[in-house]
Amino acid sequence: MSRLAVVVFVIICAAFALSWAVRASVTEGDHAMRDAFLVTLSAFMTLAIMSFMYRDNPYYKFAEHLFVGISAAYWMCVGFWSTIVGNLVPRISENLSDFFKVPYSGGGLDFDLFFLAYRYFYMIPIVLGILLLMRLVPKAGWISRWPLAFIVGTFAGLNLIRYLQSDFINQISATFVPLFVEWHGFGDFFGQLSLAADGQFLAMMTNLVIFLGVICGLIYFFFSKEHVGWFGGASRFGIWILMITFGASFGYTVMGRISLLVGRLTFLFRDWLGIIS
Amino acid sequence: MGDLRIIVALFLIGGGLFWLLVRAIRGKEVDRRLIFVFILVSVAAPILFTITFEMKPTLVVQALYDKIENLPAGSKILLAFDFDPPMAPEVQPMADVVTRHVLAKKHKAIFMTLWATGQAQFNITLEEVIRKDFPDAQDGVDYVDLGYKAGNEGVLNVIRTDFKKMFPTDVNTVPWDSLPILKGIRSCSDFDLIISVGGGKPGVKEWVLFVGDPTRVPTAGGVTAVVAPMLYPYYPGQMCGLLGGIKGAAEYENYFRDNHPQYAGMDTPAMVMMGPQTVAHVVILAFIVIGNVLFFVTRRKEVKR
Amino acid sequence: MRHKLKLVLVLVLCAWTTAAAQTDTALGDSVSAAPALPPPLPVTNLQAFDTDNDHGHAITLTWEKSADDGAGENSVLAYEVFRWFPFQVDVVDALRKSVSETRDAVRAFRIDLPRAENALHELSEDPGKLRTIRFNVARPSDSTFELTVDYAIRALEDTIAFMRENAPILKNRTKPLQQDLEKALARLPQAHANYPKDGEWRSLGKALVGSTTYTNTGSKETTADGFFPDYADLYYRVEAVTVDESIRSEAATVGPVQSRGQWFHTGKVPVLGFVLMFFVFTLTFVQMAKKGANLYVRPLSGIEAVDDAIGRATEMGRPILYLLGIGTATDVSTIASFSILGRVAKRVAEYQTSIIVPCYDPIVMAVAQEVVKSSYLDAARADDYKQESVFFVTNYQFAYVAAVNGIMLRERPATNIYMGKFMAESLLLAETGTLAGSIQIAGTDEIAQIPFFIVACDYTLIGEELYAASAYLGREPVLLGSLKAQDWAKVVIMAVALIGMLGTALGWPAFAQMFQVTG
Repeated sequence: MSRLAVVVFVIICAAFALSWAVRASVTEGDHAMRDAFLVTLSAFMTLAIMSFMYRDNPYYKFAEHLFVGISAAYWMCVGFWSTIVGNLVPRISENLSDFFKVPYSGGGLDFDLFFLAYRYFYMIPIVLGILLLMRLVPKAGWISRWPLAFIVGTFAGLNLIRYLQSDFINQISATFVPLFVEWHGFGDFFGQLSLAADGQFLAMMTNLVIFLGVICGLIYFFFSKEHVGWFGGASRFGIWILMITFGASFGYTVMGRISLLVGRLTFLFRDWLGIIS
Repeated sequence: MGDLRIIVALFLIGGGLFWLLVRAIRGKEVDRRLIFVFILVSVAAPILFTITFEMKPTLVVQALYDKIENLPAGSKILLAFDFDPPMAPEVQPMADVVTRHVLAKKHKAIFMTLWATGQAQFNITLEEVIRKDFPDAQDGVDYVDLGYKAGNEGVLNVIRTDFKKMFPTDVNTVPWDSLPILKGIRSCSDFDLIISVGGGKPGVKEWVLFVGDPTRVPTAGGVTAVVAPMLYPYYPGQMCGLLGGIKGAAEYENYFRDNHPQYAGMDTPAMVMMGPQTVAHVVILAFIVIGNVLFFVTRRKEVKR
Repeated sequence: MRHKLKLVLVLVLCAWTTAAAQTDTALGDSVSAAPALPPPLPVTNLQAFDTDNDHGHAITLTWEKSADDGAGENSVLAYEVFRWFPFQVDVVDALRKSVSETRDAVRAFRIDLPRAENALHELSEDPGKLRTIRFNVARPSDSTFELTVDYAIRALEDTIAFMRENAPILKNRTKPLQQDLEKALARLPQAHANYPKDGEWRSLGKALVGSTTYTNTGSKETTADGFFPDYADLYYRVEAVTVDESIRSEAATVGPVQSRGQWFHTGKVPVLGFVLMFFVFTLTFVQMAKKGANLYVRPLSGIEAVDDAIGRATEMGRPILYLLGIGTATDVSTIASFSILGRVAKRVAEYQTSIIVPCYDPIVMAVAQEVVKSSYLDAARADDYKQESVFFVTNYQFAYVAAVNGIMLRERPATNIYMGKFMAESLLLAETGTLAGSIQIAGTDEIAQIPFFIVACDYTLIGEELYAASAYLGREPVLLGSLKAQDWAKVVIMAVALIGMLGTALGWPAFAQMFQVTG
């Protein structure tokens, strides 16, 4: 470790301590020290991640690894408490439900089907879950393919209908748009021509773009015929529509990223430095 | 004094952009770290010196506003807080303003979440909006928080036909049957409107696919900007309104405040965020122009060579 | 005698006069009150039938509006719907409530008893904890009452004793109550069949003026409030009601009707149609591909560029970097990427260039190693294959990006190929590749990342082109057949869209209605 790195490290530690102390002095409440520490830590982690913009450095690496580690642990705990304790335990055992202090919902009438109580059906997902974990054992890894197949099959079956209905059939229905909206002849059309959002012209243009955009976009993704002649022209129009869409998507994404930056800077200026209200 | 600082800041940014343009015309490369500094300044200055702009609502935002506004008082509205802290800067303002609108119109608000972190985000709305602006609103009568349930689309599949099966109690373990607000609700079909606020999976798309389309209950969403373009195809046939990113939230806040003067003093974080957002966008537009100038100048030089 | 007669006559006269006076009074009363409105005409053609396309537990009523709907002084304001409930339903409700309350009490005792014991223990040890004690102690409502430690301890002890005494009693009561409830539920169908004995009509609700339909829906859960029995004879009545609820039409009655669940959902027929269509297309084309039919796939510019890019790398003496993305081996885009990797690796082997394949997922790495190895074998260059050219980096997203960026800046590959599933790291990778001066060819089905690849890479395969590329290169029958099936499905979609547009324009809504899916 070079001398410069040591000096930088000492400066950062001193800055952290100073920030914590100042923050604690202005924070109100019973837990001022704790809140001040958390705000200061959050601010320093933010700055550490942002330091990557200059270049890769050990502080960025530390913040990234800390985030990854805490995320993994957090989601593991959440997964246990929300899925195992939240969804499984209340359905299989009243004693376990009381131990974990969750309301037992496996009650109601003891439903006897083929001499089995209803709640024993939940043993099946427990067994499948254990089989899935066999993936971690090299020799027994093949067993995990069975519950995986069950998961893939179930989700494929559930999603097939939903996606077909919402993303396919309903979207096809949405292209059944009239190209001539409230048409009373060319005279009336040109007489009332305006760019108002609820006007006839824009409504017709919208419908035209939707219809042609869908058809030409599908033509672009048609692989069984070479894109030449009129077919190629339609394909070209389709890719233009796609590019405009991607451009809008890009713009939205940039807006989203800037929003996150605004959020972070607002935190730094307001909650950490206290220079804005 | 504040206006002077804003003007100075904008002049500095404008001057810097002009300097970059001149460099581009001369064919000199621009260090990417300079671009980061520009973005930082263009975002920080409006935050420090508070620039806000008036927003007119777009069609998709207006549609959601009108829907909530025109429902008869006492309508039951399900609000799903399906987001986490990384998305909160964009999505929390829209969650807050929609909640405020729902309660201001005396509708019954039923909150739930499919994300583990959603409950904490709802608590922010509870403290900052419900308890502050609606102190008379009673838990269990005017609003209720059903909490988080793990299972993603599995939860949606169940509550589509039997809500109580997934949420036998509210988040405070009060039994379903003891909550007056939930009387008459058996499934999602019994709601008058479903609004999902979020930006990941499960999110608005899953609500439309698994609940909105099968039950034909009007469904709306508030999403992050990254996800918004992928949801526009669902409007207006499958969704009755959409708030896309911080812009959508700002439009809604502005429109709500203008039409509900009693809330003229409410916090408008989205509108405040649109100030730096707008300046940053203008700077990025300038970069695109400068980048294209540099591209053409460089290409001409190569051709000459 | 004459006097007695006169007396009788007078008495009779008096009695008659009194009666007449009362009558006159009654007449006077009726004259002073407004004449009563006639009741509205009843609904006609009342029918009840099982609600279609559901799991049962719902009946739909339809009727023709009353003639006085929206007309005249006795205009109908609403239609009130009644159903005949046997008194057995009340028995079931009472038992259900008892079961529920007993169970809730047992559960509450189980949770609250240890809590109370803990609170008592804490308070006994440290009376100073009175203010922070977590188990709430009930206290008198007198505002001057001050909670003392002694009172709190006594209250807790009483509560604990009560719970200990009653918890087992309640627990023992639960099962017999449940059995009684089951028996009561089993008697419901017979009770319904006893109509009109041992029951009464109860209002279900009202339908607004102008309505001609009402659906009575209930729960299928036997333990739920509002349980609606299937296969039980149900009777309904509809009355037209005016502003004055006492003025209503005669009741129209209908029944018996039974509810039941359906096996086939007719509202989802369009979905079935499209599933069958895809099924037939896919099977047909896969069979054709397996039989060796020449199924044409148009050339893709991104794939055409791969050969040129590999040639460029050979000339420059620099390696080729191939990234499979951050998906798992089960992701469709990763599977498609394996086909392309095979083709690239074969060309690389033929030209004797080097290839670098850093992997995000260990299983993907294992598969990629096999793919590259077999490509080298196919090119008869088995000796040139180096196992370390395909290696695992890390399965943390941005750590992976950092490592790959480092490889790009050190090794300076001539060509970067990104094929698979990418998320936020897409632009980071593509930017660094541009800095390193590489030709970049990308393909992903992540719509949000496609714009980034388009701006930063030289060639991009958009969405389905990635799958088409794998079919084009690999020529596997299943891939090829699926691709052709999708193409034909697109033809059907375009035709349907065109017909639908024309139908909407020419006023033919029936076609659009064919695509309405319910439920």
